[in-house]
Formats: sequence, C-alpha cells, structure tokens
Amino acid sequence: MRYLKYISIFLISFLIKSCTKDVDFDQIDDASIKTEYISTLVYFNLTATNFLDEFNNEITSIGDIIDAPISDESQDYLEKIEFTIITENSFDRDFLVQIAFFDKNNTLIYTLQPDVYIPANTTTLTTIIEIPETDIDVIYNTEYFGFILSLLPSSDGSVISNSDTSTLNLKSSAKLFFNFRKI
Amino acid sequence: MRKLQILVLLVYAINYSQNKQVLYDFAGLPQTLMMNPGAEVDNKFHIGFPILSQISVQGGFTGFSTYDIFADNGVDINDKIRDAIHGFGKTEFTMVNQQLEILSGGYRLKNNDYLSFGYYQELDFLAKIPRDLVDLFYEGNTNIGRRYSMKKMTARAEMLGVLHVGLSKKINDKWQIGGRAKIYSSVFNGKTKQNKGTFYTEYGTNNIYKHNLENVDFLMQTSGMFLDDYDDVTPSYVQSKLFFGGNLGLGLDVGFTHHLKKQWTVSGSIQDIGFIYNTKDVETYQIKHGYYQIEGIQVYFDPNNPEDYWKDLKDDFDEKIVLDTIYKKYISIRPVKLNGAVSYSFGRPYYDDCRFLTSNELYTNKLGFHLYSTIGAVHSYLAATLFYERRVTKHLDTKFTYTLDPFSYSNLGVGLSTQFGAFNTYFIADNLLKLNNVYNAKSANFQLGINFIFNNKN
Repeated sequence: MRYLKYISIFLISFLIKSCTKDVDFDQIDDASIKTEYISTLVYFNLTATNFLDEFNNEITSIGDIIDAPISDESQDYLEKIEFTIITENSFDRDFLVQIAFFDKNNTLIYTLQPDVYIPANTTTLTTIIEIPETDIDVIYNTEYFGFILSLLPSSDGSVISNSDTSTLNLKSSAKLFFNFRKI
Repeated sequence: MRKLQILVLLVYAINYSQNKQVLYDFAGLPQTLMMNPGAEVDNKFHIGFPILSQISVQGGFTGFSTYDIFADNGVDINDKIRDAIHGFGKTEFTMVNQQLEILSGGYRLKNNDYLSFGYYQELDFLAKIPRDLVDLFYEGNTNIGRRYSMKKMTARAEMLGVLHVGLSKKINDKWQIGGRAKIYSSVFNGKTKQNKGTFYTEYGTNNIYKHNLENVDFLMQTSGMFLDDYDDVTPSYVQSKLFFGGNLGLGLDVGFTHHLKKQWTVSGSIQDIGFIYNTKDVETYQIKHGYYQIEGIQVYFDPNNPEDYWKDLKDDFDEKIVLDTIYKKYISIRPVKLNGAVSYSFGRPYYDDCRFLTSNELYTNKLGFHLYSTIGAVHSYLAATLFYERRVTKHLDTKFTYTLDPFSYSNLGVGLSTQFGAFNTYFIADNLLKLNNVYNAKSANFQLGINFIFNNKN
C-alpha cells in the first residue's frame, strides 16, 4: 500500500501541479494573417472597326457589361482591392475607360476612381487603382460591372477611318488584400 | 476561453496514432485481448464496468503545438504563427480517434478457452495537409510560377459501432492463439485519397496573368454524410445506426502468444482485417483529368452580339473540370493494425498469484520490445517501443514505455493497474516528458477503465 501512496502523490503532483506552462489564449485577439491573392480580370484588343458604325461614322463611346455578382463570403476579411491596368494605344487619339459597379436594381453603386486615361500613341502604360477599405462594403451589392470606353475628340478634328490599323489593348488584374483575424 | 482550453487539452493530450503501446499485453487486463486476441489472461471471468471499462481519446497534430502559438513569452503571436508555418513539414497530419467500450465481458470455458465479447463505439478522423495548401493560404498566390500541389491531400472520417466476440485458446504450454470476429455498423464514412492536381499562376499572353489548374484528379467516397434532411440526425438516429441500422461490415482480429524459451515470449496480432459495405446514403464525388487555364474575360464591346461572359466562363470551367456525383455502393477497408512484441521475464515473485506466466513459471519483471504499425488506404506508419513491466505488489502492476514514432523520439509512457478483490482499475498515459507542459505536446495518450476481474481465487 505504501507504493500506491507514493505513486498516487507522484502522479497527482505531476498531472495537476505542473502540467502547464504559461499560455495566453487571449493572444488570439491579436492574431492577424495578412494574405494577398492576385486574380486575372478582363482584357480587350480593339481595332478601328470597334469605333465605327455601319456607315463608318465614329462612335465616341462604347460599352459592355459583365454579370458577375460578388460573393460576400469574404466580406469580413477583405481589406483592400488594387487593380492593375496595362494599356497600349497606337491610335492617334486619347481614350478614357470607366469601370462602374451596378446592383440588382441597375443602380450605379460605385465607380473606380480615377478613370483610366489612355493617351494617344502610348506603349505600355500601367495604371493602378485602389478600392480602399472604407469603400469595400459597397461592392458586395454588385450584380454586374459596366465598362464604358470613350473616344476623346482629337485636337485637329481628325477622325478614325476604316483603313486605320491602330490597336487599343488593355490588360487587367486585381490584387485582393485579406486580413484573416478574429471578427 | 475555458472551453477552448479544455478542447486544446483534449486534442493535444492525446496520441494520434491509435498506438496503445502501454496497454499491449499489460497486466493481463481483459482489454489486452482487444489488441491481441491470442493474449494470455488467467482470470475466470470478467465484466467491464458498463461504459467505463475503456475510455480512450486520442488525437493530435504533427505540425505544431498549442504552446508554439499561445506561449505567454512576450513574442508577438503573429511572429509565432509565422515560425510555426515555416516549420511546417512537407505534409503534416491531424487526427482524432475516440473509443468508448460500452459493454465488455468474458469467461473461461470448460475446455479452458477464454471467451470474450463486447460492444464499443469508435470515432475516427484523419487528414493529411500538404504544405503547399498551407502556403497558398498563408502567402497567397503572388509568387508567380510557384506550383501548389494537392497531391498528398487525403482524409478519412468514420463513426461506427462494433460488436465483437473472441476466443483465446491455449494450444499447449508454448502456444496460445486467438481470434475475434467483429460486426461493424457504420453511422458515416468518408474517404478521399489519390488526389492530385497543381494550381499555379504565370504571366499571360493576352492578359497580365494566367491561372492554371493542371492534371486534377479527385475522389471522395461518402456514406451517411450527405443527407436530404439533417433534422433527422437525432441521438436516436445515431443510436440506431450504431446498433446495426447503419452500413454493415465484417472484421477479424487474429493473434498469438508463443513462449520461445523459459523466459522469452513472442506475441503478435493483426487487428481489423475487415470491410464495411456502404450501401445507404452513398455519394461519391469525382474529378478525372481536369485541366483549366484562364487569362481572364475578353470583352468585345459588340452591342450586336452581346455576350454572357460570366455564364460562358462558368460553363467552360464545368466542362473542363467535371465534378461527377456517383451514387454507387462501395466497400471501405478498415485500417489494419499490426502488433508484434518480444519480451524477457525475470525475477522471482513475492506473491504466488503473479500473472507473468512464462512456461508456468512466475516472474515479477518483464522487459521487451514492441512494434506497432497501421496500414490504411489513407495513412500508414510504424512505431517502436521498449517496455519494462513490473508487478510491484499483488495489488499493483506498473509498466513503463519508451516509444519512437513519427511524432517524437522521446515518448515516455506509464501504466498502472490496481486490483483489490475483483475490482480493477487502470490508468495509462504517455508523453510524460511533455506533462510538465501539455500545451507543448503534439501528442499524448490516455486510457482508463474499470473492470471486475474474477480470478479462480475470487
């Protein structure tokens, strides 16, 4: 029985008295895992015919939409979105690209600012636009995106002709900045 | 917070391996028959205390310990998380195994064979996590050209009830053999393996970046997991599935004990040679040879031919990465466990009823070596244990173990078994070196139970 007594004391002291060192689970409140994901977005390669109607008259503004509802699953963790837009323009004309966000009621809820300005005769030109944390919540109501491409007037009054071989190219991507932390 | 601490203690104070190295061949406990049906027990009959004859909770994570993250040492938790992620191996495991012996009993037949039987419930979960997936979560995909593979991503989950009956038979003074038949009744079963596929981002041609999914193969077999109505999952539903209302299967354990020489003993067993035939609530998800590349959405600005870009993109994805749902019955094989041990008994006993019977001689000490291996479709591994067992008094047996396994090269274990009259209790724990700080343990092992063991003298 003496053995039992000693072993019991040994086990109890081992298991209860000294079974942990200092840990602080409240540190979880300070945990923050910042991760960045990149995603490819839209691109286009346009020629003169895109800016001419059936009578070869210049169209000063063209547009398109992409139905892509934004999921709100990541809403609590997404802090910022940074768009990278790379353009090449061999036209002798300036362009302006507007990117707008619409909700399911076709209401304009957000416009990327500033508009992407593409000067005439420019090779690779990179524009970076950010949706800051303060505006992030708005975009979760997005149902579709609108792209409006405006052909700005020339300084000398010249217009695009059918025989013009110039091109306007745009490439884009988004970088999503997540901060996984305790909500 | 208290709940979290308890959970952490539970998860980390346990051993992921299902290796009950201390319990194996310990003190003639009836539970040793569950590990080796050919083990020697010398009692007349036994009854396990209902629900308390064996409680076993095991689990763990090879990646890092609770202490690695939550140590109160003045280091920023985010630095500790970063260090833990950087120390993450190529593949790490997380595992939980819980067993509850609900009924256990046995008695010696007239021909001296020992018949044992019972029923236990088991919950098992294991997942292998490849480092690539952790990196993809932690670092994102901004590392252009880095390939993230899901090749080693596997998992299994299962809950089942097991009814068993076994016989341990003494052939002669040198040989004891045994077998145990099992009927499995599965509440749910899930398994995913042989997955592969690579995700990477590279610089594109038409756009800035191109995302790639290459060579994607995925297979997940499930039964009882995806149900039409989860409101039906009540305690009585689980009970009915555990007690032969689930998917049924058959299993077998076999084992032996052989006295090589007067003091040398060899024993071995194979547990759970068996299968479950999954026929109810079966769903299998499969992707075969999936390839997908995307540079983005090309916008045409053509009002005469408006495009549904998003739908086209989704359709294209679904066409190239085809996820089939199959409702075909399947057989799941239980993970097989192998035990083998050699021991040397020595020292004369103080009491005549010492249990260490080696060629009918009695010894108080036993020294030996035990190998354990589990072989499963999802995970296999090997553990080696040196053990020393001593019968201290007629009321107390002790066992000490030193185990090498994939978790640790310094796993010390201890077992105590006490018996007063027919009343037997036992307690087993390992990873003692971590007991001064259980938060720092990636694994440990607890088993405890109460039996009523009646020897010939009782």
